[in-house]
Amino acid sequence: MAADNLPPPPAGEGGGYYDYPVVKRPVWTWEVPAYFWLGGMGAGAYITAALAQNFGSADDKRVAAGGYYVAAAALVPCAPLLIADLGRPDRFHHMLRIFKPLSPMNLGAWTLTSLTPVAFARAASHAASSGLLRGPLGALARLVPTRLADLAGVILGLTLAGYSGVLLAATNIPLWAKSKLLGGLFMASGLASGSAAVTLQAARRGVPDATLHRLGLLETAASAGELAILTGYLVQTGKTARPLTSGRFALPFWLGAVGAGSVLPLLLHRVAGRRQARALRTLSIAAALCTIAGSLALRWSIFEAGKDSSADQRASFDLSRD
Amino acid sequence: MIDAYKRLMNIEEPPPPKTAKGFFTDTSLCIGCKACEVACKQWNQLPADGFAMTGNSYDNTGHLGATTWRHVQFIEQAKANGNSQEQRWLMMSDVCKHCANAACLEACPTGALVRTEFGTVYVQQDICNGCGFCVPACPFGVIDRTPKQGHFEAGTAHKCTLCYDRLKDDMTPACAKSCPTASIQFGDVEELRTRARRRLGELQARGESKARLYGMPEGEEAAEVGPLHAFFLLLDEPQKYNLPEVPRLPRRTMAQRYGWSAAVGLGFALLGALVFGGRR
Repeated sequence: MAADNLPPPPAGEGGGYYDYPVVKRPVWTWEVPAYFWLGGMGAGAYITAALAQNFGSADDKRVAAGGYYVAAAALVPCAPLLIADLGRPDRFHHMLRIFKPLSPMNLGAWTLTSLTPVAFARAASHAASSGLLRGPLGALARLVPTRLADLAGVILGLTLAGYSGVLLAATNIPLWAKSKLLGGLFMASGLASGSAAVTLQAARRGVPDATLHRLGLLETAASAGELAILTGYLVQTGKTARPLTSGRFALPFWLGAVGAGSVLPLLLHRVAGRRQARALRTLSIAAALCTIAGSLALRWSIFEAGKDSSADQRASFDLSRD
Repeated sequence: MIDAYKRLMNIEEPPPPKTAKGFFTDTSLCIGCKACEVACKQWNQLPADGFAMTGNSYDNTGHLGATTWRHVQFIEQAKANGNSQEQRWLMMSDVCKHCANAACLEACPTGALVRTEFGTVYVQQDICNGCGFCVPACPFGVIDRTPKQGHFEAGTAHKCTLCYDRLKDDMTPACAKSCPTASIQFGDVEELRTRARRRLGELQARGESKARLYGMPEGEEAAEVGPLHAFFLLLDEPQKYNLPEVPRLPRRTMAQRYGWSAAVGLGFALLGALVFGGRR
C-alpha cells in the first residue's frame, strides 16, 4: 500500500495521545458526596444553633438551639461513610497516625473525629438543661462547658463544612480544580442546608413567628450566597464545566442543585417573609426541604461529573496552562 | 523522653540520605519492544492486564496503572512530503516521574507515601489505607488504587517504586536493566542530567529541531512539581505524549481556595450573630 493511501494517524481531540485521559479517574464512590452532604449539614446546624444560643432571644434559644440534636444526628453516619469508601477500611486509624493539615484529607479526618464528640456532648448538655436527660447521665452532661463547646464546635464546624470543596479542588480533575471557588460553594451549601435543618425541627416543635423569620433571613442569605458563588464557579470553569452543565448530570444539577436547592427556597422565603403562623410554618418547611435536597444534588452532581471530567483530555491541558 | 517514646512505639530512624537516583528515558532510542514493561511486571510480580486490544497502534497497554508501572506509547505521525505522506512513530516508555514536589506525597493523609533515601517517591504498602486521594492528585495520572475485591494487594495505592528493593542492594531497576537500546538509563540524577543535555545537543546538531528535554530543573514544566527524577528526551511537544505543559501542584492554590471558603463561613457566622442579636 502506498504511503499516501494510509489513513491519517489518529490523535486525541485535545491534541494528545489518542483520546486517552491525562489524569486518572477518581476511585471514590457515592459514600463521599453523601458524607460531604451530611457533614456540611451537621456543621451548619451546629453553627446555627450555637449562634441562636449565644446571641438570640429567649425564644430563639429555646427552639433554634434544638439544632444541636440535628447536628449530632447528621454526624452519626459520617465516619462510617468515610470509612466505607476506603480501599482498606480496617486501616482507617492510619489517618490519625500523623497530623498533616497540608493534606485536606488528613485535616478532614481530624476535624470529623473532633467535632463528633463535641456535637454529642453539646447535644447532651442541651438535653440535660431542658430536662430531657435526667439521672447520672444528665448530671454528667451538665458538666460540659457550654460556651467552650460552642466556640470549639463553631470553629470545627466551619472547618468541616469548608474543607470538602477544597479537598476535591486540591486535585488535578479539571471540573474540580479549574475554579478557586469550589470550597466556598460547598461551604455556602453546607451552611444553607444546616440552617434549613434547624428550621425544619424548629417548625415542627412550634415556634414563635419572629424566630422563624430570623431563621428564614439566615437561610435566604446562605442560599443567595450559594447562588452567587455558583455563578462565579460556572463562569470561571467555562467550557471545562460541560460534563456538569450539559452531560448526563445536567438534570440533577440544573433542576436539583440550582432550581430546588437555591432559586426555589429564595422565592419561598420571599413569600414567607410576609406570612404569619401556619402559612409561614408550611412555607418554611417546604423551603428547608428544598434546600436540603438541593444540597445533596449539588454535591452529588459535581462529584460525579468531576469523574467524567477526568477523561477530558483538552480540559486537562487547559488546566495545566492556567 | 522522645527516645523512650520511639522505643516504645518501635519507631525506626529513617536511613541516611544517599545520592539521588533516577531515570533518563531517551525516547529517540526507544524501539517499542516493551521489554521494560515485561521486566517490570516480572520483577515486581505484578499481575497481567488481560489480553484486550485497544486498536490504537501496537499499544495494547494503554495507561500506567496500579499494576502497570512502565507503559510504552506508540505515537503515529504523518506529514506531507510532496504528494505522499511521510509516516513516523514516536515511541516512549512512560513511568512515574518521581517529582521533587510530588502531588501524591503531599495529598497522602496517612504518611504511606514517603520520599526514600534515594530521593524517589514510594508507597509503604503496610501503611496505605486506600483513601484514594493520591489518584486524582497526580498531574500525570500515574498512581492508582487496586480494586477492593482484587487478588493483588487489594484496595491500596500502587505505582513505580524505582525498584526500591533493587536499589537497596545497589542493583539497576529491572526496566533499565532490560532495555536493549539504552533508551532507559538509570543512575545518579545529576550525572543523567549532564548526559541528557549532551544528547540533546547531538540530536539538535543532526537537525532534530523539535527535540527537547522534559523534567529538567530549568524547564517550565518544573515550575510547580519541581525537577523530575525520571525525566525524558522527547522528539515533539509534551502534549503529543499526553504530558501536561506545566504539571500542576495542587498545594500552590490551596491557600486561596481555603480563603474563599473561610470568607463565606465567617460571613455567615457574622450575619447570624447580627440576625439573632440585632432585635433582642
